[in-house]
Amino acid sequence: MTINPLAKGSWHREQMLGFRKMEKVIVAMQDPDMGMKMRNQRLLITVIPHAMTGVFRLVWFLTEGLHLGAMLVRYGYIYPLKEPRSLVLQADESPYRFQTPYFWTSTRWPASELDYAIYLAKKNIRKQGELMEYEKERYNVLHKRINHTWDFVVMQAREQLRASKQRRKADRIVLECQEQAYWLVNRPPVRLLVLCYKTVLSCVIETCRRALGRNRVKSSICLEGFVKYSEQYQMHDPIMQGCLPSNPWISDDTAHWTMNAEIVPAPTRLRVERWSFSFMELLSDVMGRREFMTYLEKEFSEENLRFWEACEDIRHGESSKITEKVEEVYKNFLAPGAAHWVNIDSKTMDKTLEGIKHPHRFVMDDAQMHIYFLMKKDSYPRYIKSDLYKNMLAKAIVPQETKKRLNSHFPSPAQAVTQATKEDRRVKQAGQTGTNTAGGSHV
Amino acid sequence: MGKEECKTMLDALNKVTACYRHLVIALGSTSDSQNLREELKRTRKKAQELAVANRTKLTALLKDKTISKEDRSEYERLWVLFSSSMELLEVDMKRSLELGQNFPLKVPTRHLIQTGMTGSTTTVAARAISVQNIKYEADSNIDTVDLGDLQAEISQVSQMMEEMEMKVQVAPWAVEAKQEAGAELKSSMSVGNSSVGVISICEEEPKEHESGGSRDAGFASICAVVIFFVIVTVAVVLGYLVINMS
Repeated sequence: MTINPLAKGSWHREQMLGFRKMEKVIVAMQDPDMGMKMRNQRLLITVIPHAMTGVFRLVWFLTEGLHLGAMLVRYGYIYPLKEPRSLVLQADESPYRFQTPYFWTSTRWPASELDYAIYLAKKNIRKQGELMEYEKERYNVLHKRINHTWDFVVMQAREQLRASKQRRKADRIVLECQEQAYWLVNRPPVRLLVLCYKTVLSCVIETCRRALGRNRVKSSICLEGFVKYSEQYQMHDPIMQGCLPSNPWISDDTAHWTMNAEIVPAPTRLRVERWSFSFMELLSDVMGRREFMTYLEKEFSEENLRFWEACEDIRHGESSKITEKVEEVYKNFLAPGAAHWVNIDSKTMDKTLEGIKHPHRFVMDDAQMHIYFLMKKDSYPRYIKSDLYKNMLAKAIVPQETKKRLNSHFPSPAQAVTQATKEDRRVKQAGQTGTNTAGGSHV
Repeated sequence: MGKEECKTMLDALNKVTACYRHLVIALGSTSDSQNLREELKRTRKKAQELAVANRTKLTALLKDKTISKEDRSEYERLWVLFSSSMELLEVDMKRSLELGQNFPLKVPTRHLIQTGMTGSTTTVAARAISVQNIKYEADSNIDTVDLGDLQAEISQVSQMMEEMEMKVQVAPWAVEAKQEAGAELKSSMSVGNSSVGVISICEEEPKEHESGGSRDAGFASICAVVIFFVIVTVAVVLGYLVINMS
């Protein structure tokens, strides 16, 4: 039982399905052809019908096992008559009786505290104060907890008893037994309660332990980081700053997209600025990566970037090609004396070589991470300070904002359509006047 | 006086709620029948009338700003009684809808659960709607027709309860009950007699706990034993006399 609400929801659904199944079995058992032996229960002078024996055998016959039978008794669909407090399905001929549908266990109508209080008050009246120990305790607890409705509890208990006095003695006894069985299932006496508590508590302890172990960041720190990020990227956000030359969705002009395509001869200034924000920004931009590669070639450390790219390819590529790709990477980058040998520390190298024997998608992860951080700490800052980058920044273009043309303003398609019809009408009129003048001049 | 009227009306509502619950418990069991469905319907109507009357009266009293502090706390207590009653009624109405749908009466093979209850609930319903005898005049398809009405009434009741919560500013937890724990035992009516004379078969008392049930059982068996011995001695004496005489 986890705190995860999704898990709890599915547990509830499973429970509900279980209850539906049990209800179906109960209704099937009512069929007189089932062979359920119904006897009369005799109590001094009162005779109560519908006491069944041989439940064990019938349930074994009907269902695929006794699990369902045990559940039927545990959840109170059938209650034993001889030993009401032991909610197990006995293998002998002990009598049971069906529970009325109102008292069937259901997740829609869980047993409420108010009902339990009314039941205890009724029992108190009937037994002249002789409740069992655990019932007395619960009575006192409830009296404190729902004290504000205690008058109602007392009034309702008295009225319910008066109502039940209107029935025959046999029915009254059955009612008492039914109610008692219901509350034994829903508010079990202390012995069972301890077992339930143990399992519940151990689950809770487990969840708390896991929660303690999680990494936490103080909100003051992470909010500061978030604010810094927002400030840095505000100029680059097309919604906040507006986009140059113009928003294609509004002006129907696709210049913005063409200028910011993956490969362009001249990248925009904003884009080049973004490369200096973080190493990941640089690597994820195709042009940025190419520029960085050129720079590394100058420094003779381009094998790092190639290795990183090869590892990315393994991670995101096709499963069938993984083995051959890993082989190639080993040959080119990791084998001693390889053409483009990369400098990885010995521990990571040993681990990777072990992993290569059984290659999978993430076998290069540690080495890749090591090289990534190497580049980030070493080559990347130098690149940002280098002339190559500065030249790129100077060369970058700042697109001009297009001036709004006076009559070509299309804020919505409907107006565009009306504009188009207006244009057509104008053209037609012009044509007509043209023919008229032509006709006129002809004449 | 407003208070006394309120109290009587609340008592009536309380009575009807208890009877309604009693009737709903019988749904789906062997004491279910056309008559039961009709009884449920009429009890419900009565409960609705009482609820509306109570609500109007109590809202009027609580909205009055000129009442004293004790009066106000008393009205708040009555208000809590009223809302608890309505809660129970609403839940019971919803359950009776569900049970009514699951156990229709006009089907070729009725599968009513054999719970051991065989008597009728006429007297309970008569108590609820305060008549001497009920005349049953509904048509035979009341179980399906009634369900539509029931749904409408449930939504009415839910609406009323929502309005109540919005309009009246009463904090239910601040109300103090007049009755203390165990107050029900001081009642003048002897309801404990319902199980006297019958061995309490429902209870299995643990051996260390000599409770009222086994006390009653012991009392009855002692009586029986005493009577038996008296009869046996009388028979022995008579026999002796007869033998002596012959």
